[in-house]
Amino acid sequence: MSQYSRREVLKLGALLAAGLGLDSTYSAVFADGLQKLSTGQARVLWLQGMSCSGCSVSFLNSNEPGPVDILTSMISLLYHSTISAAQGADAMRVIAETIASNDFILVLEGAVPTTMPEACTMGGKTLEAILVPALKNAKAIAALGTCASFGGIPAAEGNQTGAVGLKTFMEQKGISFQNRLVNCPGCPVHPEEVWGTLAYIVSKGYPAVDPKLLTPNMFYAHSVHDNCPRFHYWEKEIFAKHFGDEEGCLFKLGCLGPLSHTSCPRRQWNSGVNWCIRAAAPCIGCTSESFAKKRDFPFYRKGEASHPVNYKESERKEVTS
Amino acid sequence: MKNTISISPLTRIEGHLAVHAKTEPTSNSKNKKEAKVSEAFCEGELFRGFETILTGRDPLDAQQITQRICGVCPTPHGIASVQAQEMAYGIKPTHNGRLLQNLILAANYLHSHILHFYQLSALDFVDVKAVLQYKGKDRLLISLKQWIEEALARKDVFPAAPFLPRYEVSYVKSLDVNVSLLAHYVQALEVRQLADEMAAVFAGRVPHSTALVPGGVTQVPTLERIVSYGARLKKVTEFVEYVYVPDLLEVAKVFPQYFEIGRGRDNFLSYGVFPMDENGSKFIKSGAVIGGKWEALDQENILEEVGYSRFSQSSGRHPKDGQTIPEAEKTNAYSWIKAPRYRGQAMEVGPLARAMVNYLDPSETWIKNEVNAFLAAAKVPAEKLNSVLGRHVARGLEALWVAKQADKWLGELEVDGPPTRDFTIPKTASGYGLTEAPRGALGHWLSIDNYLIKNYQCVVPTTWNCSPRDDKGQPGPIEHALVGTIVEDPAQPIEVARVVRSFDPCIACAVH
Repeated sequence: MSQYSRREVLKLGALLAAGLGLDSTYSAVFADGLQKLSTGQARVLWLQGMSCSGCSVSFLNSNEPGPVDILTSMISLLYHSTISAAQGADAMRVIAETIASNDFILVLEGAVPTTMPEACTMGGKTLEAILVPALKNAKAIAALGTCASFGGIPAAEGNQTGAVGLKTFMEQKGISFQNRLVNCPGCPVHPEEVWGTLAYIVSKGYPAVDPKLLTPNMFYAHSVHDNCPRFHYWEKEIFAKHFGDEEGCLFKLGCLGPLSHTSCPRRQWNSGVNWCIRAAAPCIGCTSESFAKKRDFPFYRKGEASHPVNYKESERKEVTS
Repeated sequence: MKNTISISPLTRIEGHLAVHAKTEPTSNSKNKKEAKVSEAFCEGELFRGFETILTGRDPLDAQQITQRICGVCPTPHGIASVQAQEMAYGIKPTHNGRLLQNLILAANYLHSHILHFYQLSALDFVDVKAVLQYKGKDRLLISLKQWIEEALARKDVFPAAPFLPRYEVSYVKSLDVNVSLLAHYVQALEVRQLADEMAAVFAGRVPHSTALVPGGVTQVPTLERIVSYGARLKKVTEFVEYVYVPDLLEVAKVFPQYFEIGRGRDNFLSYGVFPMDENGSKFIKSGAVIGGKWEALDQENILEEVGYSRFSQSSGRHPKDGQTIPEAEKTNAYSWIKAPRYRGQAMEVGPLARAMVNYLDPSETWIKNEVNAFLAAAKVPAEKLNSVLGRHVARGLEALWVAKQADKWLGELEVDGPPTRDFTIPKTASGYGLTEAPRGALGHWLSIDNYLIKNYQCVVPTTWNCSPRDDKGQPGPIEHALVGTIVEDPAQPIEVARVVRSFDPCIACAVH
């Protein structure tokens, strides 16, 4: 066993479960999964598609376990393009041999271009050419972030590349995703969702997910609105009118908390120093399938008073369903 | 192919980049493999089409969508976008709004510069395997050593990935220096995280701040938040001053030849960054240097050419009228990056460019004094700054200047004062935002029609640095800086990688 003692791993599992508001049965599962990750029993191949690396930076902002543990003890990260010492032909060899080994968890960050495969290439190969065998051989697949999960901004209206999320790509290629693909949306994904998902897969296998969205229920069951610290303003119909208003529900500034299913109100962001609603910033719905997709569905309602082209309430609800 | 070097993919940068170089043999009789780069090509391997996705949207969407161009430097995109909107809406940030935007951006500089030297660049210089000889008592180093030993004992397919495999070339030889740099690699992971927490204190969260809005930020600076930022800033500043900058000098001592390698053209561009008042004076000033001669910045001189880029719009458009029409299989095109030019010149951007523009600005003194003090202490002549090590040094010094200035901005905040001001979006308007990302000059150009975005164009730092050839065939700054680089072993072209990484490329930004 690695330098992680049983006690330390139990502590990390408990912290992770508590941070996400989950009960104690999860802390044991997470502890078991984290221990297996740390002893090299789960090898991770992290590929980037049409991404911004924001999910990678977010992962490095992990608090418990911290970034040092991530790289030096908690995980067998076989390849990550921002971190790996390997470059050029060596990098392509690591990717190819890992895929051939059939013994790895695939993590994808970023969307996949389908109508313009040349829009994302690595080592002279299209992402598609690397991804198809990787998806076929992986023991489990985690789509990290909203781009990999649902296409995200690269797949927004007006895109020229036919970008899609992993589930759609696998459907197009006839690769089985049932009980293999887990979607962890968020723009970026929160590090605790990454750890929780990887640890759960390694310990117990495929988690319980939303049947359509493939998001693990343990992290994505409740909306920001459900657990919002400003919910009492909503009940009393006290609404913030301007950016910077310290009081009031942010709904009339455009808050998309009702659409965004995530654990943000519990575990917050950046080691818990802040999060969107606490900063009086409306939720922009970054974990939702519809995130940023439609031109006429803006993040804010600030513009609504001054121009009539904005959405109406009925349209907002349509997008929710 | 013979006489060709390719690093594809070039890792430990942000995003998808391939670098190709043509070489010629040298006359070194001791090393028959040795080659010299005669021509180089930077290939940006990603296209997402942010500019087209932005058209027809509510202008307020822009500071959220453009932040997603890059997860390493989202904040500068958010700042450029709110500045373009502020110009279009005819507002200026409040006193607190300006300071809070500066403080969020300062935190992004610290995160990015620390990440660049340690996580992205250091493995080109440090010998990771040296940790196996470590006999000391540092908890983190012992942990790293045990982890590598266990991976080797288990006979993992790729033991100690992601630190191995690597080019087996000449690294730092001293055990002490290696161990100290590795300890700092590990420490930097935590310090970089602190810098991101500083940003989140005022930005809501990072990456991809939701609190940034035209006029300032959404959140009032309470005393608690100011203290929270300040406590972390103190630790980060200490790391920069007593670890990062000394480590740079240590690497410079071991690899002094890198003050000669990777020289650019002496063309530098800075848009200026961190507004110091309402009138537009900036902490680091704007300007252009062409062939070593300083001139004032005029953004009208910027054009984007696409002769060798995979786009079919007409070449040479100013970004305010810019277009982005992809053509994946365009003949002769080899990159998804456009070729921006300033008065027809390929310009280097980034910390070295900012330092050189300010160094040569006849009205500027403080950066010149700081740089001169460093040069005197390090016994390095000023002309050697235009080099691989010069770029690293400029980045490290800048991190220290920004960290110290951030403490002053923190003290200038009006506690509980208004963080932003109200605005209305006009039916028709246009604006641009010029700022500096950690890796260089960043501009957003916006036009609004019928309350919606009519056109949105971004010219991004690595679009400048990693640009392909322009219509006249002039290579981009990195392509130019690589020419003449001696490569000891073309199968392991570490020298090429060191030159490219010194520019801190960010491809998600460059291609957007």
